[in-house]
Amino acid sequence: MNDKNIPLDYANSLIYDLEKAFWDERGRGARFRTTTVGHEYLVDKCLPLIKTTALDDILDTIAGVLQDINITEKVTFDKEDRLLRVRVEGCVHKQVEERLIDHGVEPFTCVPANLITLAIEEKLDRPVELAEVKLEDGVCHLLLVIFEGRPTLD
Amino acid sequence: MAETYNLVEATMKVIQDRRSIRDYTDEPVSEGDLDMILEAARQAPSGENAQPWRFIIVKDAETRKRLGALAGGGSGRRFTAEFVTKKMQERFSSLEDEEKKKAVFEKLTSGKVSTFLANAPVNIVVCGRKDVWDLPYDTSAAIENMLIMITALGLGACWVIAPCIDIRDEQRVKALFGLPEEMKVISIVAVGHPTRPHRPRPRLPIHELVFDETWGQAYYKEQS
Repeated sequence: MNDKNIPLDYANSLIYDLEKAFWDERGRGARFRTTTVGHEYLVDKCLPLIKTTALDDILDTIAGVLQDINITEKVTFDKEDRLLRVRVEGCVHKQVEERLIDHGVEPFTCVPANLITLAIEEKLDRPVELAEVKLEDGVCHLLLVIFEGRPTLD
Repeated sequence: MAETYNLVEATMKVIQDRRSIRDYTDEPVSEGDLDMILEAARQAPSGENAQPWRFIIVKDAETRKRLGALAGGGSGRRFTAEFVTKKMQERFSSLEDEEKKKAVFEKLTSGKVSTFLANAPVNIVVCGRKDVWDLPYDTSAAIENMLIMITALGLGACWVIAPCIDIRDEQRVKALFGLPEEMKVISIVAVGHPTRPHRPRPRLPIHELVFDETWGQAYYKEQS
């Protein structure tokens, strides 16, 4: 097995360039074409660890994975009705968001947010929408909306 | 006596008469009209003449209902996200009638604004080959050709991206129709007979849109 690490700056500069390219191509619509980024990792590494369909268990498991693999230092949640506020501290990808903001682009995608969203959708079949990614005082604040169920017209 | 137009006048009239129609009668769309609509699409410009477009004609009520639900779910999620971040309130800040504003927010956030696909007698699912460079442009030209022909035929249509703009929803639409991996869902065009005439939506004035040789240098003088 090749255990060489690539420099974080290099990885983040590639992620930034990819996100910026998406933004330049689709503008505000770019958000909707990046909602599945992280899906393979979720399926391979996260879903097997989620043992129940309790929302707290899903959230704690994703937070635990992100911390175990050193992507984030700390992830905390605050639920209020259908709104889920996520505070992400010490994310290794923070500089991607900072560079986007420096170039006048509102951050529009986030792998921790996608993992949370996709995990809830997979385990509970409840749609989730990432409403906002905000960077304040070096901390990422995510706002997600969790819907009750998939709409039908029956 | 019927009005008569020369070709230029008729072309401009059809373009100016086009509306996004979301309410339809139960009257079916004839096969002859569908032939004309699809032929208009087939004649659209295409880079390298690749013609990446493919069309699925959906009349089955149950399938239309599923498409309507997917469209409503997608737009409801997005508009709710816009609402909870207060961006929707900013967008509609010039609307002073609070009752009307509330109704607009409800219609948008519930997704009901996009469920009309279920009520259109025909949904045309526009798909495209991913191995073509100009896929989004070619297919968009085909869709516009369809909309123009639909207007000329006295029918109504709406170009809908709600069930496929988010990659998660697009995957569901692909599964619904059994699309192969190498194809992409571009949009749905809902077609039917309009229930009533629709007024034109406001357009930006031409002098704000057109520049002379360089960005920002107005081509047209502002009308006083």
